[in-house]
Amino acid sequence: MALLCFAVRVAAQDVVLTDTLETVVVTGTGTQHLLKDAPVQTEVISGRMLRQFGGRSIEDILGSLSASFAFNEGDMGSQMQLNGLGNSYILVLIDGKRLTGDVGGQNDLSLIDPHNIERIEVVKGASSALYGSDAIAGVVNIITKRHDEGVMVENATRYGSYNDVRQHNSVGVAWGRWKSLTGFQLQHSDGWQNTSMENTPSSATPVTDSRSMTVNKHTSWQLSEMLTFVPTEGLELYAAGTIHRKGIYRPKGKYPKYDVKTFDLKYENASAAIGGRWKTGRGDLLSLDVDWAQHAYYHAFTSTTLTEGFDATGRLILDFPYFEGQRQLQSNQQRTMVQLKGVFDLAACHRLSAGMEARFDHLKAPTSVEGGTAKDNTEAVYVQDEWSWLCWLQLTGGLRLCRNEGFGWRLTPKVSAMVKVGDVRLRGTWSQGFKTPALKEMNYRYIREMTNIVMYLGNKDLKAQTSNYFSLGGEWTHRGFNVTVTGYLNRVDHMIALVTVPRTAAPEAYRIQYGEQLNKVRRYENMEDARTTGLDVSVSYTRKEWTIGGSYSYLDTKAHVYDSDRERLERVVIDGMAYHKGNVFLTWEHRFAPSYALGLGLYGRMSSRRYYQIDGNGKPFQIWRLTTTHNLGHSRTMTYRLEAGIDNIFNYSDRTPHGLHLGTTTPGTTFYATLTIRFKTGKNLKFSNNNKFNSKKQQSDEED
Amino acid sequence: MKKIKFFATALVALAMSVGFMACSDSDDSSNVSNMERYQQEVENAVRAEKTKNKVILLVAFGSTWQQAYDAFDLTRKEYQKAFPDYDVFLSFSSAICINRAAAGENTAKRNFYEPMYWLEAFGRVQYSEIIVQSMQVIPGEEFSRVVNAMKDFGNNKLGDLDDKYMSKFAFDEEGNPGENVLKLGMPLMYTEDDTKTLATELDKNFSKYASMGAVLFMGHGNPDEYDTYKANVRYTQLETALQIKNPNYFVGTVDMADNFKVQVNNRMKAAGFAANGKVFCAPLMSIAGDHAHNDMAGDDDAWAEEMATQVEGEAEDVSWKKYFGHMGYTIQETPYYTDNGADALVKGLLEYKNIRDLYIQHTKDAEAVDFYHSMYPGE
Repeated sequence: MALLCFAVRVAAQDVVLTDTLETVVVTGTGTQHLLKDAPVQTEVISGRMLRQFGGRSIEDILGSLSASFAFNEGDMGSQMQLNGLGNSYILVLIDGKRLTGDVGGQNDLSLIDPHNIERIEVVKGASSALYGSDAIAGVVNIITKRHDEGVMVENATRYGSYNDVRQHNSVGVAWGRWKSLTGFQLQHSDGWQNTSMENTPSSATPVTDSRSMTVNKHTSWQLSEMLTFVPTEGLELYAAGTIHRKGIYRPKGKYPKYDVKTFDLKYENASAAIGGRWKTGRGDLLSLDVDWAQHAYYHAFTSTTLTEGFDATGRLILDFPYFEGQRQLQSNQQRTMVQLKGVFDLAACHRLSAGMEARFDHLKAPTSVEGGTAKDNTEAVYVQDEWSWLCWLQLTGGLRLCRNEGFGWRLTPKVSAMVKVGDVRLRGTWSQGFKTPALKEMNYRYIREMTNIVMYLGNKDLKAQTSNYFSLGGEWTHRGFNVTVTGYLNRVDHMIALVTVPRTAAPEAYRIQYGEQLNKVRRYENMEDARTTGLDVSVSYTRKEWTIGGSYSYLDTKAHVYDSDRERLERVVIDGMAYHKGNVFLTWEHRFAPSYALGLGLYGRMSSRRYYQIDGNGKPFQIWRLTTTHNLGHSRTMTYRLEAGIDNIFNYSDRTPHGLHLGTTTPGTTFYATLTIRFKTGKNLKFSNNNKFNSKKQQSDEED
Repeated sequence: MKKIKFFATALVALAMSVGFMACSDSDDSSNVSNMERYQQEVENAVRAEKTKNKVILLVAFGSTWQQAYDAFDLTRKEYQKAFPDYDVFLSFSSAICINRAAAGENTAKRNFYEPMYWLEAFGRVQYSEIIVQSMQVIPGEEFSRVVNAMKDFGNNKLGDLDDKYMSKFAFDEEGNPGENVLKLGMPLMYTEDDTKTLATELDKNFSKYASMGAVLFMGHGNPDEYDTYKANVRYTQLETALQIKNPNYFVGTVDMADNFKVQVNNRMKAAGFAANGKVFCAPLMSIAGDHAHNDMAGDDDAWAEEMATQVEGEAEDVSWKKYFGHMGYTIQETPYYTDNGADALVKGLLEYKNIRDLYIQHTKDAEAVDFYHSMYPGE
């Protein structure tokens, strides 16, 4: 109700607000709020920003439009960081559902179709009682485009330097009580090489003609289907499924030590979900979701390779032969989740959410886990109360009780408060996190072949990680001007990290087989303590057709690990952290004629040096991008849109030799163009610059 | 009709989403056939090059360094010259070294294969004499794998070699070799006497450095808990033999307990070696690979004032070059790497002619072993 009142007020205002502020967000509380009044601080990358920016991937988008993210788009996929904490602490959701990926926490971001994103919401810290306490760094919720009426057929094709191809196709049909949305996306790049130098010891002959790639050639595609059925008013049932394949292809050179690889990487993801939501006559909402996801990872051999395998007697040997064209399963991870949730309007200003969740993880890794498989299950119940008796104060309190098979019970509270004083919003949050070690962190034992051979060891003695997150922030919005300042402290106890241990820690068979090439042995260990502190600032100003803005993120990390040999605490770096990151943007849009609108955008992003425990630090960088958008044609059913731009206009690239960390993997200046063609009957959803608050949508869909 | 069509479409879509769950993740190959297929590849490699009835197999751990390949090639050539009646093959025991050597593009592919595959192939083509020469420096952990591969061969582990042929490898009742012979050539420092011989040859190569300062040899060594055959003692014996020639010689290791670079430094101090004297480091390994380039001559330098040695006495993440520099000695940077390799210190033992000759002598001295066990003990 309060929200509805608000919608009316927004509509009545004369000031043209940016679409960002009018956006409805759901991630922080699981219930809808206008962004400017969201009780939990939420960062939004709006559909308009996304369309103007024309990002090639989710890495490109988050890395460029938010100062809090950092990526390493390496030869084996992407490593994401949010305010200093890595992949496994970040929960990535697509429309509120967990992204398929490695249960070890590596999110497979190629599962996200960059062209199908309506907006992105980011909630930092373990601030949400709803999505599990393991999102210690935060939650990234990708809200995808919907199709509600008529028939829609859309194709978007993006082509860029290095044979970068992104294809997005979708077909939506809404017919009576049925709705179907079918999608197909393709992502491909030939990859690139920023340097042909290898990092060689000074005593050795330098290698200047390596074929190692900075980013390897990769191709992925995904097919998705979402079927919705509305048997009666208020009740919606759905079934959805996706299938996804990805290959990373690695070249072979002539230096066995450096650039000869004997296998490519293949991934097979699939997911299926069924569920429904029921809006009762009095406005309460109940939802049930059951979803299953699979992430399988293979080595696909490109030449004869001796590696882990089972001999005729079923014994694990480290020199089992595989041949070109064959593949070997590295791991197959399956996750099944059941989620039941209810949102109840207890009184006009009192909304209660309650739910339960069960999650089963299964890991099959024949050669990397003793016994071949491992499993885990976690259950949780939670309640959250949103309380807004006073018009200037909104309180949200949540409690989540988790139980894990191996680590027992844990209660994690979350409290958020927002105070409204005129155009100013003050928000504070305290939340606790609880994250049990991932199956891989406990059970895995594998060799990774890079320039050197590194052995990774799981650790069954790991303790669960707990965290305390505090944040305090202010937001001021006035006449198109918006500024937010948020300070935070995230203390993680028993944080799990890879720590280099003496080579003798490797099992004997591995030590003998890999000998001197076993350069390092790294084991998952609990750190004594780790903390990240930081300050995020964002500023934006919109006036008529112009928008200017930027954000800055300061980060400091401290972590200690106990060195039992030296009997003392050693300070270690949280890999990949940079003290300063920032981004700026300037956009201008103008409609010259009913059939032509032009948009121009200038974007910059920068980062100071990134620090790592081993293999050098990443260089500081800044990258600028120029984008143009052209809305063409003028028809009730057809939409044509062209986007074209230059990324990295000053042609910066990090030419640090292979084997050492890079600040950024950008290949230098690249060009791209995207053509979108859409046919749509029914309600005409233009590529509008103002995604108006839609009260109808709010009533019918509690959760996007 | 439209309705039926629509429901049909919907059903197909539902079936699809269920169908996604039924993806299989089985491997593409069956294990037995892969091993046999690989064995046949090795057999074909042997058949392609077989010109003699006797064969020598040189077994090394392996490497991925070009410098090491060159050293192995040189060694093989000299063996072919020294043993004109024998085919000579090179074998690696490291899987990764084998994989990468066989996979390069724009470069000669090399098939080193593991000893057990070579020996099985030798049995299939029925060589009458097989000499396996260990290219190891000490009779340690890696040497024991060489011996095990020979035992597997003698036992006809796969059970598919002709027993009549195999039985000819058996010694007679007086302990004399049979019609066929299986011989084992010992590592460089198999006996204590070998250490004295090696000391003499090393001194020939390094005396010019020893006359200027300390020459520190970096060996591999077995870790304490795996000191196979108690072979580590050979390093100590070598140091003793070398110091008779010149007290400036020291021999340390990367893995042997109580003989890391830290202890080498202690011994240098105890021997009264000048605090700022010149220091030359050289690998005591058959080839110059990761240890030589990284652990010895590398630029790794995690040194800090407060950094103490670890419990076992090793200071990891600091190369020998950097460590002895930190200890106050004068490190000679220039001779580590030269374009033509002539004066370089980062050279494997196989890059020295007189050391290659020592291995060749060990092959000439190789002793016959009786590892044959009949598959049909009752007969």
